Amino acid sequence: MTAALVSETTTRSDRGSRRSASKAGRRGPASGSRRGSQWSWRIRKVVYPLLLLGVLLVLWQYSVSQMENRLLIPTFTEVAEAMGPTVRNGDTWHALWVSNQALLAGFVAALVLGIPAGLALGRVSVLERIFNAYIDILLVLPMAAVIPLLVAQFGLGLFTRSLVVFLFAFVMIVVNARAGIRSIDPTLIEMTRSNGGGEPQVWRHVLLPGSVPALLAGARIGLSRAITGMVVGELILIPAGVGNLIKQYSGFLDAPSLYALIALVLVESLVLIALANLLERKLLAWRRR
Amino acid sequence: MATSLSDRNTPSAVEDRSGTIEIAGVRKTYYDRTGAENTVFSDVDLTVRPGEFLSLLGPSGCGKTTLLKMIAGLTPIDEGTITVRDKLVDGPLAECSVVFQSFALLPWSTVIKNVAFGLRLRGASRNEREGRAKELIDLVGLTGSENKYPAQLSGGMQQRVGLARALAVNPSVLLMDEPFSALDEQTRGFMQEELLSLWERTKLQVVFVTHSIEEALLLSDRIVVLGIHPGGIREVVTPPFPRPRTRNTVRDPEFGELSTQLWEMLRSMKEEDGST
Repeated sequence: MTAALVSETTTRSDRGSRRSASKAGRRGPASGSRRGSQWSWRIRKVVYPLLLLGVLLVLWQYSVSQMENRLLIPTFTEVAEAMGPTVRNGDTWHALWVSNQALLAGFVAALVLGIPAGLALGRVSVLERIFNAYIDILLVLPMAAVIPLLVAQFGLGLFTRSLVVFLFAFVMIVVNARAGIRSIDPTLIEMTRSNGGGEPQVWRHVLLPGSVPALLAGARIGLSRAITGMVVGELILIPAGVGNLIKQYSGFLDAPSLYALIALVLVESLVLIALANLLERKLLAWRRR
Repeated sequence: MATSLSDRNTPSAVEDRSGTIEIAGVRKTYYDRTGAENTVFSDVDLTVRPGEFLSLLGPSGCGKTTLLKMIAGLTPIDEGTITVRDKLVDGPLAECSVVFQSFALLPWSTVIKNVAFGLRLRGASRNEREGRAKELIDLVGLTGSENKYPAQLSGGMQQRVGLARALAVNPSVLLMDEPFSALDEQTRGFMQEELLSLWERTKLQVVFVTHSIEEALLLSDRIVVLGIHPGGIREVVTPPFPRPRTRNTVRDPEFGELSTQLWEMLRSMKEEDGST
């Protein structure tokens, strides 16, 4: 009798404590330890990507060092060793400078022309109907095939290289700006009109602020395409800048320098894209809840 | 029964028309992609009296929102005329304010900027519009949320912002397009009560689109029932419940009776539509 009672009470308290434990687990720990878990979350946010990078580098090092015939495939340590001389080499910085001139000119031109073009296409259905097919053509056109034509017409100078960058980036910027206008809730336009606003007010208060997220996305995608365009143009036909240097290194079978240079271009790209992300977060604070 | 489905479109010729909304012979026709025409309604005649709370009720597709947007000057009138307080509607009028079903708040603007938006478009100075916006934010019970963004507010709070924006410009006509249909039931009940008490204080002229029979009965002086195939006004119902009304008004025995009648009417329309 007593034994039964005791066992019942224990099971009941057992159940109770289990329930409270699971509740605590769901709600998260109390404030003191929550700070702790936030810390560990922050650390994990940094540690996990670094861990992945480490694993990839080890895999690289190991698998390449096992290869018997590796003409243009360096190990990670060889590239790391070549990084010093590459950074100190004046040729590297000259090539980057030459390439970036085209990147800057082409990308800025793509923004300046692409954003208004995309916005207009999104708003004016007649324009959309006229130009839609050409946008699609530009989207699917293999740009590499066009580069020889451009060189034949405009020569090997900065203008042609900028034009290549422009062509790579322009369509992405146009398409995103157009999508930005289309994504805007038409009720907002009605609301503005019901308050006496005309087309200029609709643009100023609804269409432009509403398409900012898409414009930034377009700029970011356009930038990565522009960087691709910069290197591809120089690799294919135009002997200048980073692309030219890449060709030289691969001609000399100097794989470590080649990859050290590519790593530098990657670092530049990542920095530029990180800047674009930062700008996006600053401008789109209203999206966060 | 006698009190209910009777006084269709009482001629108001004897009344002073200066404060009315006059809808005369109005038609709306849409054309689909094949060019086939679809007339939603035609020959709609209706007078909204000064200080009246009038609801437009009907099945989906009857054009109740279209009629409201015609009064708002947002949808072209294909035939006939609408005058609001002796002004012919040919685009949005300054007298009218619209409250939208989806709230229509600028997501990148704070509550106070959203409330002040109508005043801003009307050219009010910053001080003037922020002072007025604060008053309205207090009125709708959002004090303290001035600098929040719409995404940080619940649906009910968002529609309070929409209502405050509409009222901030001091309209004489409030056009409400299913303003509470996107809200959960409890919030909708609270908002209906608040709208009632607000309207009873201000006696604004309100045209209110709804698909909810109960909402129309609770709020309105008159309910205009629109039909489909053919479209247009089928019936005008005058809910007889004394004011001020509250949620308790729904317990009135006549409330249930009227509600059933209206329900039967809407259902018969649906059956007619199904048979054609």
